[in-house]
Amino acid sequence: MKRGPRIGYVLRQSAQLVRGSPWLTAVSAVTIALALTLVGLFAMVLFNANHVLHDLGQSLSLSVYVKDTATQQDIATIETRLKQRHGVKALKTLTREQDRERNRKLLDKDLLEGLDESAIPGQPVIEVEIDADLASRGDVEELVTWTRAIQGVTSVEDVEFGAEKLRLLFAIVEIARTIGFVLSVVLLASAMFFVFSTIRLGVFSRRDEIEILSLVGATPGFVRVPFLVEGALQGLAGALVAMVLLGLLHLELRSLVRDVYMLNATWSLLPPSMVLWLLIGGPAVGLAASAMSVGRYLKV
Amino acid sequence: MIQLYHVHKRYPNGCDALSDVTMRVREGEFVFLTGPSGAGKSTLLHLLLVMERVTDGQILIGGRNIHVLRDASVPYLRRNIGVVFQDFRLIGRRTVFDNVAIALEIMGLTRKEVERRVGQLLDGLRLTHRAGAYPGDLSGGEQQRVAIARALVNEPAILLCDEPTGNLDPDLGHDIMNLLLDVNRRGTTVVVATHDAGLIERYGLRTLVLARGTLVEDRPRSGRLAPIERGPAAAVGPDPLATSTAATSAGAAAFADIAEEAP
Repeated sequence: MKRGPRIGYVLRQSAQLVRGSPWLTAVSAVTIALALTLVGLFAMVLFNANHVLHDLGQSLSLSVYVKDTATQQDIATIETRLKQRHGVKALKTLTREQDRERNRKLLDKDLLEGLDESAIPGQPVIEVEIDADLASRGDVEELVTWTRAIQGVTSVEDVEFGAEKLRLLFAIVEIARTIGFVLSVVLLASAMFFVFSTIRLGVFSRRDEIEILSLVGATPGFVRVPFLVEGALQGLAGALVAMVLLGLLHLELRSLVRDVYMLNATWSLLPPSMVLWLLIGGPAVGLAASAMSVGRYLKV
Repeated sequence: MIQLYHVHKRYPNGCDALSDVTMRVREGEFVFLTGPSGAGKSTLLHLLLVMERVTDGQILIGGRNIHVLRDASVPYLRRNIGVVFQDFRLIGRRTVFDNVAIALEIMGLTRKEVERRVGQLLDGLRLTHRAGAYPGDLSGGEQQRVAIARALVNEPAILLCDEPTGNLDPDLGHDIMNLLLDVNRRGTTVVVATHDAGLIERYGLRTLVLARGTLVEDRPRSGRLAPIERGPAAAVGPDPLATSTAATSAGAAAFADIAEEAP
């Protein structure tokens, strides 16, 4: 009769293992929780940053300031050149007066009082609306190169490009991604090491028991399963704690983003897919670590 | 039931623990295995339990050649061999009940079935009142009976005992022997390793004598089997296993389903 151990037996034994070293189990679970929380945080920050960058890319515009000396002909040439660029959605040319009017609206009324009309900046400008679906950093780089090319054109005084800020964001996200990846690997490895050590101690403290089980005819699987379940349970506990931490962080960060930066972005640190990943990832990390420990130290 | 042919066991340090041992124990027999310390008694028991493998020769248990048994099949062989150690080998953190239950739980029996069978056996061995106790709280005799209960609970075809009376005072040792004889009467093949000459003399059963790793004497049953006495300290009742479900049901047939021999 080749039947495996009953679930009831396995759970009773695993619970006994946990009871045997409650502090070590707790430390393992907390380590997994911290690792998963940070990994989750990095993943969601990067995901949301990409989302924000994408949104910003949707409403990208370019202001091409034309020199005072430029003739109508020069402006028309620039306009033609701009229109040739793939992805240019619309052009709007403002005269000096129109630009000044726009600036006046932006300035504080008190500031304008008694101010000479000519003191308000105004310059002929071509507003370029770009239909760039900025999915990647490459798109932005291409735009920047193009912008520089326009700047080189005679009668173009200056080009103001919002994407310069986007470039910075892209760079930050890229650095964050690298750091996040390295940190996640380190954190997960240390969490696994904790589980590995806890299980190893459990195996050592039960050497006699393991030998007896083996002598009365227990299969290696029967002896190992409670240790594996213990590891998986530590991982599950870690995942649950990570969910709570991510949930709290989410609330805290959301109010920060809404109240301080006035951004009404829709995002979540704990979307359903994240919950699923944690529920699979936590036990998987614990199971993998205990499997390594049992494989190495539990000889039946 | 147990056959050894020219069995040789040499340890990695070059020490020959057994040399050219050939012997046979028939189904239902009660055999003493004796000899001075270092004669090879324990090594022989280890080989029968496949805790170690022979260096040379063949061992057949229930007709199966355990020399060619795959590691994965060893647990299934062990389920048909009950074993009682001199130092009892009980698990300190498990209760008496759970210690006995192990042998059934490894077979995947339901908790209900485990409770029924362990309950009956503990009852037969008058250990019911100790079911919830831990081994550390038991007397030596009680611990030995728990160890025997664990060895018997899954009704093995063979019972191996390594110095089962070694750690007990003579009266308790006597009780344990009576218990083993009862088990044997119910059909289980029993092998008792002991260096207690008085014990062997008293029971007059077949005795295999080992010395320096070789079988030097196969002393047949004397015929003057000592009556099974019920000493004043007979903690073991008139028929301790009477409530057990069945005697060893299987005999050599128990080994038939241990498959997967290596080619």
